[in-house]
Amino acid sequence: MLMTDIALKLFDNMYYLVSMVLFIIGFHTMLTHSNLIKKVIGMNVMDTAIFLFFVSTGYVTGGVAPIIEPGVEQTYINPLPTALILTGIVVAVSVTAFALALIVKLYHHYGTIDAEEIMRIRSTE
Amino acid sequence: MTTAINIIQGHSPALIVVTFLLFSYLTPVLDIWKKNWCAPLAIAAHVIALIFTGNLAWKVFTTGTVVYHMGNWAPPWGIEFVVDYLAVFMLITITVVSLLILIFATKDLGHELKDKVRSWYYTLYLLLVGAMIGLTITNDFFNMFVFMEIAAMAACGIIAIKEDKECVEASLKYLILSAVGTGCVLLSVAMLYMVTGHLNFTFAAEALIPALELYPNNILVALALFSAGFIVKAALFPLHVWLPDAHSSAPSPSSAILSGLVIKIYAYAYLKLLLKVFPGDIFSIVPIYDMILILASLSIFFGSVFAIVQEDIKRMLAFSSIAQIGYVFLGIGLANQAGLTGGVLHIFNHALMKSMLFLSAGAIIYCTGIRKIDQLKGIGAKMPLVMGVFSVGAMAMVGIPTTNGFISKLYLALGTLDAGKPFYLGVILLSSFLNVIYYFPIVINAFFGEPEGEEGNEIKVKNLPLQMSIPLLILAAGVMFFGVFPKHMLILVERAVAMF
Repeated sequence: MLMTDIALKLFDNMYYLVSMVLFIIGFHTMLTHSNLIKKVIGMNVMDTAIFLFFVSTGYVTGGVAPIIEPGVEQTYINPLPTALILTGIVVAVSVTAFALALIVKLYHHYGTIDAEEIMRIRSTE
Repeated sequence: MTTAINIIQGHSPALIVVTFLLFSYLTPVLDIWKKNWCAPLAIAAHVIALIFTGNLAWKVFTTGTVVYHMGNWAPPWGIEFVVDYLAVFMLITITVVSLLILIFATKDLGHELKDKVRSWYYTLYLLLVGAMIGLTITNDFFNMFVFMEIAAMAACGIIAIKEDKECVEASLKYLILSAVGTGCVLLSVAMLYMVTGHLNFTFAAEALIPALELYPNNILVALALFSAGFIVKAALFPLHVWLPDAHSSAPSPSSAILSGLVIKIYAYAYLKLLLKVFPGDIFSIVPIYDMILILASLSIFFGSVFAIVQEDIKRMLAFSSIAQIGYVFLGIGLANQAGLTGGVLHIFNHALMKSMLFLSAGAIIYCTGIRKIDQLKGIGAKMPLVMGVFSVGAMAMVGIPTTNGFISKLYLALGTLDAGKPFYLGVILLSSFLNVIYYFPIVINAFFGEPEGEEGNEIKVKNLPLQMSIPLLILAAGVMFFGVFPKHMLILVERAVAMF
């Protein structure tokens, strides 16, 4: 397959491509950064990528929200993923809030939010 | 009156979850003006759940699988709860073990937690148990995801509630890694939804068979993400890093429920989805069973090796949990009748013995304040009951006949021979030896060792309250009973496994 073909295919599935790139960025940030706040941001980017992916599975090109008007012929998008992701966002918000609360507690105990620094303090204690 | 009972019976799969959620929201309200009602209320929730479980078990045994549609919406659209033999098995395990741990907790918490947060502990505990029960009986992908997140948050909550440095750090580590796990699972759900258009397990399974021809890559990626997610949650070997800290620093009842039940529930969900939802043909494309077997044996081996070098008794038990969850996955990986029976039965058996060991470690800490293994010399004479119970647990871990650990190891061993993989029989035997190395010195030192230190520097021992000794005795009796008379549990497990 030619490079242009691949590029065209990827362009056709833009949303999936972008969400995968975002997922990897989030995952990488979460696992490699030692700053705990950055870890939480990475977690949020990862969650958002999944939400984008899930919502775009329900999207139909040219479709509108499924509010049915009698007599009007239209294509509708699949509303189910959108409704599910609403719940997903709520879950992600609560996980973030809990993680931030824990980080505040850790800051009170150690005076830093760097995971490696905390490891160092713990090993010298 | 009878109509009311009939209505309640008809809704029992939903009500069992609702009971826990309702009572968990009642406890903080009661906390304001009737503080000492919280513990009895939590126990009452468990008793109600036990009645529902009994009712469901009776219905499943007499009329077959119970199906419940949330809000009367039929399956492809609505959320469906399905209670089959396997679910009944898990329901019994969860309700019985968590009730016993809760009775222990009512006394132990006063010692481990601040007054202010004690009734909040029951809220989180009930939320966790309710989420686990929901996870057991749900038949819907997204519902499963929501229950997984509730369970993860509540589990992190009952670790962090102690508010000291180690607990907060362990809890944050657990929260971040479990967010990775649930993230992977949700992405996998999205990929499956893309190709099947269904969230219901049964419908998705049907739609996946033709979909595998059309979109094999999608389903393979979904399987990979899904396995990674559940393996993080169940703490199999290379992804176990969160478990030792989380399980050892938490209050003892939390450790008991986390090690005894929470990691098992993910192994159960993995087993159910792998065998029921993913089409059989996919296993000829990727050797997923062999991968599980390799991870399980690594987990069994390294869990035990790490446990040997630990100095803290609860940390040792936590590493031992990693080894024991390996047995459950070994049963899944063998994927034959005997192997699965052994693996599934080990969920119940390990729930009994590990919660018993964590609770007896908690009792030792409650009475003497000792956590280090080498300070436990001669403690058997002072606390014969607790150390006796601990010895029963140690023997069950090794798999000595007349304890229930023997039965599940026997079935796993038979499963390895049936599958024609005697190498894994060697893994099971090796692991039993390793278990002897780290469990028996504690028992021998406790009963026959001379306590160190000068005269007059004796360890002070508090009396063990009745609420703490009775759960320990019941669990020890259970371990022995199901070792001598395994028939009742085996009937249930064999019927559960026959579904696959």
